[in-house]
Amino acid sequence: METYVILKLIWTLLLGVLLVGLAVMVGMDMGVGTLLRFVGRSDAERRATLNAIGPHWDGNQVWFILGGGAIFAAFPTLYATSFSTFYVVMILLLFSMILRPVAFEYRSKVDARRWRGAWDWAFLISGAVPMIVFGAAIGNILEGVAFHFSWDGQYYQDQSFIWYLLNPFALLCGVMSLALAVYQGGAMLMMRTEAPIAGRARGFAMAGGWLAALLFAAGGFWVARLPGFVLTQPVDPGMPATPLVGSGVAMAVGAWLSNFYIAPLLWIAPGLGFFGMIVGPLALAARRPAWGWWLGALAWVGTIFTVGFAMFPFLMPSTTAPAQSLTVWNASGSAYNLSWMLAFTLVFAPAVVIYTGWAFRIMRGKVKTNAIAENEHSY
Amino acid sequence: MIDATVVELSRMQFALTALYHFLFVPLTLGMTVMLAAMETVYFITGKPIYKEMTQFWGKLFGINFAIGVATGLTMEFEFGTNWSMYSHFVGDVFGTPLAIEGLMAFFLESTFVGLMFFGWDRLSRPAHLAVTYLVALGSNLSALWILIANGFMQDPVGALFDPDTMRMEFTSFSDLVFSEDAQAKFVHTSIAGFVCAAMFMMGISAYYLLTRRHREFAARSFRMAALVGVIASLAVITLGDALGRADYLLQAPKIAAMEGIWDTTKPPYEPWKLIALPNDAAQRDLFSFGLPYVLTPLVTHTFDKPIPGILELESDAKPRIVRGIQAVLALHAYATTRDPVALAVFRQNESDMGYGLLAQRFAPDQDLAKITAAELPTILDLTARETIPNVFVEFWSFRIMVALGFAFLAVFAFGAYYSLRNRLERHPFLLKLTMWSIPLPILATEFGWITAENGRQPWTVFGWLPTFQSASSHALGYMLFSLIGFALLYSSFIAAELYLMFKFARLGPEGRAAHAPPQPGPTLAGAPGYADKPWQ
Amino acid sequence: MKTLIKFLGLAGVLFLALLLAVVAGDYGPWYFAWLVGTTMIILIAAAGAVLMETQTSSGRRDEEF
Repeated sequence: METYVILKLIWTLLLGVLLVGLAVMVGMDMGVGTLLRFVGRSDAERRATLNAIGPHWDGNQVWFILGGGAIFAAFPTLYATSFSTFYVVMILLLFSMILRPVAFEYRSKVDARRWRGAWDWAFLISGAVPMIVFGAAIGNILEGVAFHFSWDGQYYQDQSFIWYLLNPFALLCGVMSLALAVYQGGAMLMMRTEAPIAGRARGFAMAGGWLAALLFAAGGFWVARLPGFVLTQPVDPGMPATPLVGSGVAMAVGAWLSNFYIAPLLWIAPGLGFFGMIVGPLALAARRPAWGWWLGALAWVGTIFTVGFAMFPFLMPSTTAPAQSLTVWNASGSAYNLSWMLAFTLVFAPAVVIYTGWAFRIMRGKVKTNAIAENEHSY
Repeated sequence: MIDATVVELSRMQFALTALYHFLFVPLTLGMTVMLAAMETVYFITGKPIYKEMTQFWGKLFGINFAIGVATGLTMEFEFGTNWSMYSHFVGDVFGTPLAIEGLMAFFLESTFVGLMFFGWDRLSRPAHLAVTYLVALGSNLSALWILIANGFMQDPVGALFDPDTMRMEFTSFSDLVFSEDAQAKFVHTSIAGFVCAAMFMMGISAYYLLTRRHREFAARSFRMAALVGVIASLAVITLGDALGRADYLLQAPKIAAMEGIWDTTKPPYEPWKLIALPNDAAQRDLFSFGLPYVLTPLVTHTFDKPIPGILELESDAKPRIVRGIQAVLALHAYATTRDPVALAVFRQNESDMGYGLLAQRFAPDQDLAKITAAELPTILDLTARETIPNVFVEFWSFRIMVALGFAFLAVFAFGAYYSLRNRLERHPFLLKLTMWSIPLPILATEFGWITAENGRQPWTVFGWLPTFQSASSHALGYMLFSLIGFALLYSSFIAAELYLMFKFARLGPEGRAAHAPPQPGPTLAGAPGYADKPWQ
Repeated sequence: MKTLIKFLGLAGVLFLALLLAVVAGDYGPWYFAWLVGTTMIILIAAAGAVLMETQTSSGRRDEEF
């Protein structure tokens, strides 16, 4: 295989890793934000909830920023097309996301009921909306997106944004993503807060995990009846990366499952997903939140890789111009670019993992309510 | 057909969100370095007052940092949501520094900022110092990669256009990273951040000195800030000069607009315009007054080299536009037919392709193929005019920035002098001046941003991709929705930010947040026994 | 053993700093200037503060600032 093909494959895999990192780390904080109003009944409890992720949310959020940057560089056409086609939804995501850093820093700096209450609502919005949008975006991509390109590479949108917002399959994916986030956030709260917050978090997390399993199964059956996309002609994987040339693509009901029939080993991904979603809540029931947290991460790995395996090699198929569908072969960066980015990833990704782990170790242990009152910088 | 209104609204949205983001960034760049400096003194001397300083200024830094991070999220995604053609065209080279920024710099900064705030009793003194330094390093490395990306827009080096993929492809990492524009711009911007932070610290300290509160605390903060300010404002001026020279060599229209040069200069007499009223429509000054013999050495660093004026640049552009139109037509033919003859024609005129794209908006139906011989001269005129940025805006934003820069140097110099002699409190006028100067460096950086980016117009990638072609093909309603949303959200943020900044600056280092009861015991920093009661 | 690890760590940091200085010095003169200049700015600010400690402790404490 030529180097360029290997690079494209590596970056597809890294895209998956990136989405998992984003879903686990940002999803956890989103889950905590969503749960804030429900697990914390008094102001002291809410502050304990926030400070459980206080030292880490900022670092975790970089997964989201890195997601934008890495897709921009590794799959420029995907970045250019997907965010523009999903414009209104993406802007809603941004509006809700940018509330969050401000909410963290500002909420507890003024001791007034209405001020803090307003920011608590901001946490709910900025936790739930992004996770729903994240899941719904993946759902929409599975269904195919209506766009085409003109000769110079400009995309044109062929469908109203209302469809991307109110579309039953996408909503199902959105709710599932929120459920998993609630699960992950609840597991984190069990580790880092005391009773009664931890107990309430456990209830929500278990419900979230099992709800996710149910929706994952429902989504699977739905996908089997959904028109998927297949390549009708062989494509040269080492082709220059442009969707403008066009490749033979057909839509067929159930086509998203064809990869699983070709390589049955791929069933391991949904298997891992179900395992995490079903066994994880049991671990929480047995009061082993650390186990539960890692099982939640496993559930995300299973879910995201299931979608990836189903769609491969498609990244964003087009319903109105299927030949111009974006695939990992025609939407990636150049070989030179992908190699440089890989070099940086090999050096800095392990470093990020090491110092993030160190930061979590330094701040480990349960958040004490009196410690919050004493620390000048508490949220 | 590209809708000009949508392009204008997209530009407005990007300018608003970027200018807004940039209100908070310079302070972050500088404050992290100032925090590192203060904690260094704490590390060396062990005096608790320096720990208190690091924590108090750290709190104000945190209020600012939160909005910087929040509004930065918008920037990372706005290229994709609003500039799809741009993202497609240069993502292969422009996206890379953004991705590296996240991986190498922003992770570092954001992970350690949590430890910096929360890790005081969990980390040893050297470990905490190292964490603070890593935050400072991370924030400035962020700026480095972002400005490398911006440098590519100003001077696209390290990439070549590929007609097969219809985009610019990355060809040289070292050319991109060591681009002259990126280098000078990074240092200029980062150090301008130090100036903002120094003025911020100095101004708030001056307020305490004026009200005779927290005097020991304020005198130390003032001293450190003033010293940083003197060196940093000297460096900013030096780097501004270096950037100006880079522009002279690489972006002639920008320098001509900045200095309001309509006719090519006659060295060495040519005056440097102190004030003028440039009229873009008539392409002349309504009024101008300048210092003779200054302009030529200032811009070219010689006494004999002329600086091309706007009128000459416009007539030089016309042959390039003609070749550019050929290039775009050939490219279109090649894209649809893969005809090698078309490719050969394209290759001949490739370097002028951008000028052909620039002419597109003036062509009938925005289609270059429909231009008749009779229409060509008009279209050439219009396109040539289009290659020049708005002179009035460029001229004045540059002048305001420069004037403020020199004013800061004077304020810092006096401040440092009286602080070193411990005579600050005898000069309330200077203290008041510093206090009222707090927002000015931030204003100056905003004008600097306008100088750099308005001067780049009409291009998003200088000489290659016009702004008009770069935007996403959105419906008008989408743009109104996002613009109104950003305006509402950002205005409420700034209200909250200013409210908290004033509140905590007024409270001062001894003020506890409202929820924690004031603790008994010595409040004067440095008093005996204070060290036994760490501040937290 | 612990001192050895510390020593090796410091040696590594020093090596990286030298490498960075050489690369920046050769290809990026302004980057090099930033590295040197920012270090200098921090050191001068710190020196100014330390000077204030000597000024105040040599009997002029509580005079004025």
